[in-house]
Amino acid sequence: MTDTNRRKFLAAAGIGTAAGTVGLVGGASSASARPRAGRAKEPVLAVVDDHHGSEVRMLVGEREVVVQDRDLVTRILNAAGGE
Amino acid sequence: MSSHREAPEISKDPVADSTDVYAFVSPVDPDMVVLIANFIPLQKPDGGPNFYEFGDDVRYEIHVSNTNRAESDISYQFRFTTRVRNRQSFLYNTGPINDIGDETWNRPQVYSVTRVVNGKSRVLARDLPCPPVNVGVRSTPDYAALADQAVHTVGSRKVFAGQRADAFHVDLGSIFDLGALRPFNEAHLISMPAMGGVNAVQSYNVHTIALQVPARELTKDGRPPTSVLDRRSTIGMWATASRRKGRVFDQKQGKFVGRGPWVQVSRLGNPLFNEVIVPMGQKDRWNSREPNRDDRFEKFVNRPELGELLPVLYPGVFPKLAAYKKPRADLNAILLTGIPEGVVPGFANYTGPVKADMLRLNLAVPPAEEPHPLGLVAGDAAGFPNGRRISDDVVTIELRAIAGLTIPLVDPSFTPDDAAGAVEDGTSNTNADLLNVFPFLGLPGGGYQTQPGTTQAS
Repeated sequence: MTDTNRRKFLAAAGIGTAAGTVGLVGGASSASARPRAGRAKEPVLAVVDDHHGSEVRMLVGEREVVVQDRDLVTRILNAAGGE
Repeated sequence: MSSHREAPEISKDPVADSTDVYAFVSPVDPDMVVLIANFIPLQKPDGGPNFYEFGDDVRYEIHVSNTNRAESDISYQFRFTTRVRNRQSFLYNTGPINDIGDETWNRPQVYSVTRVVNGKSRVLARDLPCPPVNVGVRSTPDYAALADQAVHTVGSRKVFAGQRADAFHVDLGSIFDLGALRPFNEAHLISMPAMGGVNAVQSYNVHTIALQVPARELTKDGRPPTSVLDRRSTIGMWATASRRKGRVFDQKQGKFVGRGPWVQVSRLGNPLFNEVIVPMGQKDRWNSREPNRDDRFEKFVNRPELGELLPVLYPGVFPKLAAYKKPRADLNAILLTGIPEGVVPGFANYTGPVKADMLRLNLAVPPAEEPHPLGLVAGDAAGFPNGRRISDDVVTIELRAIAGLTIPLVDPSFTPDDAAGAVEDGTSNTNADLLNVFPFLGLPGGGYQTQPGTTQAS
């Protein structure tokens, strides 16, 4: 599954475009991610409320972007584990 | 208190804590409506060196509903920016402040006003100066003049944002000591000698956002209200404070920075609603919700906890209230829908069936020539619960309503207990003198002029 297909963006406040969160995750995955034109260009706070789930909430500017992406959750959890 | 520290979460965030809201037709110009929202409760005037100020990281709003949906059809947003002129000084002011533009004021604060109508924003004004707080006789020697300089004219509107004296009066020490009312101490379950009430808010300041706008700016059709019984004459009003959803401590700056959308953390419409009606376990949630979703709180209005406590705390004093088992349709109307036509002759402020805690103001009711502090229940339709004037004694009004005084409005078969018409906390408005002109709230007490209060352990 490609990076594009894997991500299903749900936008809070009616906004739901690119999220630009690749910089948040380390390891091998970051090497394969490419910056998009619409990526966020300001600080992003990513939140995983349920480590069993697939949802990542990203607080960026005055928006909240919600991504359903279990792979992204796993990579964040791996990174948060310090590995 | 009306809404000072009324919920667990917001009590830990005073800068965003709304304390009182007022809405009334201006007694100076009946074509104008005054909307006031107070924040930051219980400010001790000498609380320096970092005196009270609005939060740069808080979005303060005054909302108006004029379409009977209890939605924010119009909102006025206020955003603040604080500067530090001299970072090498620890002082709030480096000399007397004689003008709000003086360089001696080391932490000047300015704000913007944005009007949002149906989701479309328009900035009405930017960089409007607040006044400094009332530091003391040396630092702010002519405080009234400083405060006057902070009354700004924006088109046909007036706006003020800054420190004022709290105008609310209530006996906090007694009411929250097992529902005691000092004048009725002898009748309390834990009996004590009767005494006068103690106004706990008397010497404290708040931060006020006051707005005066033409009535036609608030009506659905943009026309001045003319008929009291025309549904379009009544608006709903409430205030909120919002913070960014995410908050991260930035060690480089040594302070928190916000991330993400604004989320509501404080709300206030009718005085005492969240404080007295909503139970502890739901107060924080209530603060984060829109009024048009208040149906889940209706059961607490229909059977208020305080109404059931009064006969227990005052044995034998409220037997008729104790025996009344019907849902409190009177409180439901006063607090959640407005009073429909036919309940009070010639008056209505009904906003439709949506259950919503809003302060409802019928704009077609002219100001009273001699305002009665008990408002509508005393025959003065220009007062609470038709809007709320600063001088309205909302504690007594709501105590008596909960005690059953207003049940006959909707249930003529009920005769209230004698005590329902007499119950009060014994306080009166012993706060700073109110002004006769905008922004109407009294000048804040000064730090130097403040004397400590008294307290004892037993």
